[in-house]
Amino acid sequence: MPEEVKPGSVAAVTMTGVNKWFGDFHVLKEIDLSVADGEKVVICGPSGSGKSTLIRCICKLEDHQKGSINVLGTELNDDIANIDEIRREVGMVFQQFNLFPHMTVLENCTLALTLVRKKSRREAESIAMGFLEKVRIPEQSDKYPGELSGGQQQRVAIARSLCMNPEILLFDEPTSALDPEMISEVLDVMVSLAEEGMTMICVTHEMGFARRVADRVIFMDQGEIVEQNDPVTFFDHPGNERTKLFLSQILQH
Amino acid sequence: MHSAPSYSAPPREPLSNRLKSLFFNSPLDALVTLVCLFVFSYLIYSIVDWAFLSSVWRAEDEATCRETDGACWSVIDARHRIIFFGLFPYEEHWRSTVACVVMILTMIASCVSWFWTTVRLGVLWIAGFGLFYILMHGGIFGLSVITPERWGGLALTIFIFAAVSIIGMPLSVLLALGRRSKLPVIARLIGLLIDFVRSLPLLTILFTAAVITPFLLPGWLLGDKLYRVIAGFALFFACYQAENIRAGLQSIPSGQDEAGLTLGLNYWQRVSRIQLPQAFRNSLPAIVNQFVITFKETSIVTIVGFFEILASGAAAYGTGVWTVHYIEVYVFIGLIYFIFVFSLSRYGAHLEKKLRVGHA
Repeated sequence: MPEEVKPGSVAAVTMTGVNKWFGDFHVLKEIDLSVADGEKVVICGPSGSGKSTLIRCICKLEDHQKGSINVLGTELNDDIANIDEIRREVGMVFQQFNLFPHMTVLENCTLALTLVRKKSRREAESIAMGFLEKVRIPEQSDKYPGELSGGQQQRVAIARSLCMNPEILLFDEPTSALDPEMISEVLDVMVSLAEEGMTMICVTHEMGFARRVADRVIFMDQGEIVEQNDPVTFFDHPGNERTKLFLSQILQH
Repeated sequence: MHSAPSYSAPPREPLSNRLKSLFFNSPLDALVTLVCLFVFSYLIYSIVDWAFLSSVWRAEDEATCRETDGACWSVIDARHRIIFFGLFPYEEHWRSTVACVVMILTMIASCVSWFWTTVRLGVLWIAGFGLFYILMHGGIFGLSVITPERWGGLALTIFIFAAVSIIGMPLSVLLALGRRSKLPVIARLIGLLIDFVRSLPLLTILFTAAVITPFLLPGWLLGDKLYRVIAGFALFFACYQAENIRAGLQSIPSGQDEAGLTLGLNYWQRVSRIQLPQAFRNSLPAIVNQFVITFKETSIVTIVGFFEILASGAAAYGTGVWTVHYIEVYVFIGLIYFIFVFSLSRYGAHLEKKLRVGHA
């Protein structure tokens, strides 16, 4: 059942009949998904369910083999120029942060501004400092990533993505590599982004976050979208047995 | 409120106690320690005696060499020009000296991080090599022409090393990137080239470049023998260095490139800003090691008829009264090699420390 886009809104991402295989392993099966501009979608599911692969397809870190993906009105195909255009408008936050270890926090943020957006160094630094303030870490701008805690690194990674002024922000398990006491500082930043109307697709198991900010929660299992609903219905009245099982497993403690 | 009790580390044992427990723990320990001390003292005394106490220094005193057991440094005093300049015409030795200094300064300057942009390094090296060539080769500004066959000694060693490094380094980066190319044809071909060159001895490659290529290449493409040898040497260097750099690239997590991709950086931006800086840092010890090996391997060009510093040394003690003093000559040349190679290693260690800043 293809999800219909809310009336009056524009689709930021539309996936139609998307299939992907890793060798013989069918990792994405007939995915139909539409995300509206400004919508916040949380994707959850057991490991190996294809949820990370799905969002990696949206910024073309993975190729899909069948079906079509349309991002911001541009069809994702093998045209290099298209892909670069899309990637500039779609930000990605990784589980392992992936900050550049040989650059300071500020250099991490200004790199793409100067190389891709062609800003002057001074302009790039003022933009970057603005976003570092937004994630509440401006005082660390001269440090190297290795000198920061995991939570700080992830906030820098979010600021680095924001510097490109993306239309869509993808989060691939942004808190899974963090020590427990650092999770909330990253979620706080994500909540404030959501409140500002950023289009967000988050793969996460933070169900509290999903309840609070998601417009829609999607449950994936074995490469399929099993169930999707608004958070209240999703958590309180899950319709599918697999969803119920998954929720009982992650919420029982 | 109680403050937490402060614990300080236990005090270190005094040096005398530690020495005692390390070297005089039992009668046997003490005996071994004393015997070793005696042997070392004797060796050091012998060396100092040979090199300094009983040695002869001035060329005029060559006759007294025969009456002493010490080193006869007279041979260096008398023949150092041959060691440094080889067959370079005597009255033009100043040109070779200045050229050497220019090249060494160029190498030192390129170790300073201020020069590490493409433009600055480019200007520096073109100026350095240009000046070196004008001084050595002449034919301009009223300098007489001296062809590369007559270049020799330290100037030649340094020139070969610098030229091989400068041509070989960029080539090695291209080979390393090529071998990791997503296009299988390019990756395979470059892999084959690297493995082929690495499976040949350097000697074979230099011999081929010097002696065999003249039969294969048309005259206009041939160039001087020295340049052919440098080209062959640079290819050999690049194939080894490429594998060091590839190892460095290999150890970068794939997330680094993906982060660059999602920021919209193109291939060359990702390579130059994200991959190579990390690859160089990861394999710095191996990369420096390759430079060290290359500096010492320059002596192999003797085989194809060039008088680099080691061959010039052989010429220096090869005549008349000096033939018995080859040890002094080799010690002297060894010292020169040591100065270069040791500086190189220390610079490598310094770089490692500098690049580790803030890197977990």
